[in-house]
Amino acid sequence: MLKYSLRRILGMIPMLFLISIVVFSLAKLMPGDSLSGEIDPNNTDPAYIEEMREKLGYNDPVHIQYFTWITNFMQGDFGKSTRYKIPASEIIAERLPNTIFLGFSSILITYVLAFIMGIYAGRKPYTIGDNAIGTANYIGLALPSFVAGVFAIYFFSFNLGWFPSNGSVDISTTEGTAGYWLSRIHHVFLPALVLGLLSTASYTQFLRNDIIENSRKDFVRTARAKGTPESKIYNQHILRNSIIPLITFLGFDIVALVGGAIITETIFTYPGIGQLFLNSVSQRDYPVLMTLTMMFSFLTLFGNLVADILYGIVDPRIRLD
Amino acid sequence: MEISTAKNTQINLKPEKGLSPWAIARRKFIKNKLAMTSLIFLIFVTVLSFLAPYITTIDITKINIGSMSLKPSAEHWLGTDKNGRDVFTRLLYGGRVSLLVGISCTLFVILFGTIVGSIAGYFGGIVDSMLMRFTDFVLNFPFLVFVIVLATIFHGKINGLVILILVISLLSWGGVARIVRSKILAEKENEYILAAISIGCSPFKVITKHLLPNVLSTIIVQATILFASMIVAETGLSFLGFGVPSEIPSWGNMLAFANEPDVLQGKPWIWIPPALAITLTILSINFVGEGLKDALNPRSRR
Repeated sequence: MLKYSLRRILGMIPMLFLISIVVFSLAKLMPGDSLSGEIDPNNTDPAYIEEMREKLGYNDPVHIQYFTWITNFMQGDFGKSTRYKIPASEIIAERLPNTIFLGFSSILITYVLAFIMGIYAGRKPYTIGDNAIGTANYIGLALPSFVAGVFAIYFFSFNLGWFPSNGSVDISTTEGTAGYWLSRIHHVFLPALVLGLLSTASYTQFLRNDIIENSRKDFVRTARAKGTPESKIYNQHILRNSIIPLITFLGFDIVALVGGAIITETIFTYPGIGQLFLNSVSQRDYPVLMTLTMMFSFLTLFGNLVADILYGIVDPRIRLD
Repeated sequence: MEISTAKNTQINLKPEKGLSPWAIARRKFIKNKLAMTSLIFLIFVTVLSFLAPYITTIDITKINIGSMSLKPSAEHWLGTDKNGRDVFTRLLYGGRVSLLVGISCTLFVILFGTIVGSIAGYFGGIVDSMLMRFTDFVLNFPFLVFVIVLATIFHGKINGLVILILVISLLSWGGVARIVRSKILAEKENEYILAAISIGCSPFKVITKHLLPNVLSTIIVQATILFASMIVAETGLSFLGFGVPSEIPSWGNMLAFANEPDVLQGKPWIWIPPALAITLTILSINFVGEGLKDALNPRSRR
C-alpha cells in the first residue's frame, strides 16, 4: 500500500511537468501580448517598450522563456499581477482562505445532509418519506449548480431575505469577534449548499441503496436472530459497512470543488480564487491565470490520487501493485 | 384422438421464435412509464426547437426599444427581455443551439472515446499503456478551467459554436475511453473472439463486427449520461460568458441575464423559462438514461 502510494506520488511529478508545458503554451497562445505589469501602459514609446521587452525576456526563444518561468515558479515566484501590480502570490493568498472555507463548509453540509436523508430513506424504504427524499434527489441531480444558484438567490436572498446574496462577510463587523465568524457562516451557507448539491444527491442515493442492500445480508439476519435492537443493527452493523465505500468519494469531491468553486463564486460574487480565476481570464492577468491554472491542475491530480488510494485502503480485494 | 395428438406433436415441434435482445429491451423500455414520458417530452422539445423558424415569425435578432422588458401577455407569451426580444421565441431558438451543441459533443466524445478505448482494450500491451497514459493525462486536466482558457484563446478566430463543441469534446472523451476499454478487455476473453481471429478476421473486423456490438449497450447508456452533462457544460459556460457567443441565443446565454440583480429580482420571466427548460431537459434525459440502463440489463426483470 505504502509502496503504491509513494509510486503514485512520484508519478505526479512528470504529469505536473507536462501540465506546466501545456499551461505555458496556452498562456503564450492567449490573445494580447502577455506583457508583464512592469511596463508602464502610458508610455507608448516603441523604443521604451522594446527595451522593457528585452529586459523582461520576451524576446528570448520560447523554451528559454518557459525555463525561466518554471524555475521562478518552483521557487515560489509566480510573477507580478498585471492588473493589481502586486505579486500574484499575494492576491491568491488573500483569496485562498475564502475558497478553502467555502469548500470545507460545502463538504460538511453535504455529509450532514446526505447522512440524515440517506439513513432515513434506507431504513424506511418505499415509504412517503423515502419517496420524498428520492424525488428531491432526482431534482438535485438534474439541477446544474448555476441554475440552483440563481434560484437560491431569488428565493432565499431576495424573496425571503434569509441569506445575503453576495460577498463573504459583512464589512461592518470587526475581524476576530464572534459576530465576524457568524457573518462569514451566514454568507457562506447558501454558496456552500449550492456547491454541494450534486454530491449531496448522489451520496444520499448511494447510502440509501447500500443500506437497503446490506439490510438483506446474512449478518443482519444473525443480529436480528440474536435479538439485537433494530436501532443498533442499523446504526452500528449496517452503517459501518455502508459508510466505507462513501469515503472513496472524497477524492472526487476535491476534483468537483475546482470547477464548482468557479461557478458558485461567480454567481454569489464570493471573493475566492474561482472568481479571481474568471477575472484574470477576462482581464488577461497572465501571471495570476497561470498560477491558478497550475493550482487547479494540482488539486485535480491530488483528488484523483486520493480517490485511488482510498479505494485501495477501503477494498483490500483491489490489488494496486 | 389420434388426429389431435398428431396436431399437438406438430405444434410442439415448431420452434418457438424467441425475441431478440433488442426487442426485449424495447418492450421493457416501453413499459417504463417514467422513461417513456420523459422520452416523449424530449422529442417534443427537440421538434419544437428545430421547427422554430416555422412556428414563429418574430425576428429575434432585432433590438426593439419600444417593447423592452414587457411582462408576459397574449402577444408575448413569456414577455420580452431587456432588448425587447420575445422570450418564448428566443427559448425555441436557444433550445436549438443548446441541444445541437449537446448532441454534437456527445457524438464526438462517444466516437473518439470508443475508438481509443477499443484499440487499447483489444491490442493490450504497449499500445494499451501508451493510450491509457494519454487518457489519464487528459483526465487530469480540470475540465472547466481548461475549457475557459481554450475558449478565450480561440474566441473570435473561428466560428464560436464549432470551437466550443471541439473544445468541450477534446477534454471529455477520457471517461468513455476508460469504460469502453474495460468492457472490451472482459469481452475479448470469450471464445467466439478466438474463433473469429483463428479464421483470419482482421483486427478491424473483430473490433467492429464482434466486439463493439456486444459493448453497444454500455455505450448507449454512457451516451445518455454524457448528453445531459454536455448540455450542462454548454449552458454553464455560456452562463459564465465563455460559451456560445452572446449574439446567438442559447439557454445558457438567456440565463446569463440573471447575473444582473434587477433582472434576477424584478423580472423573473426573463430567466425562469431557460432555467426550467435546462432543468426539465436534464431531468428527462436522466430518466431516459435510467430506463435504458434497466431495459438493456438482461438481469433486471420488471
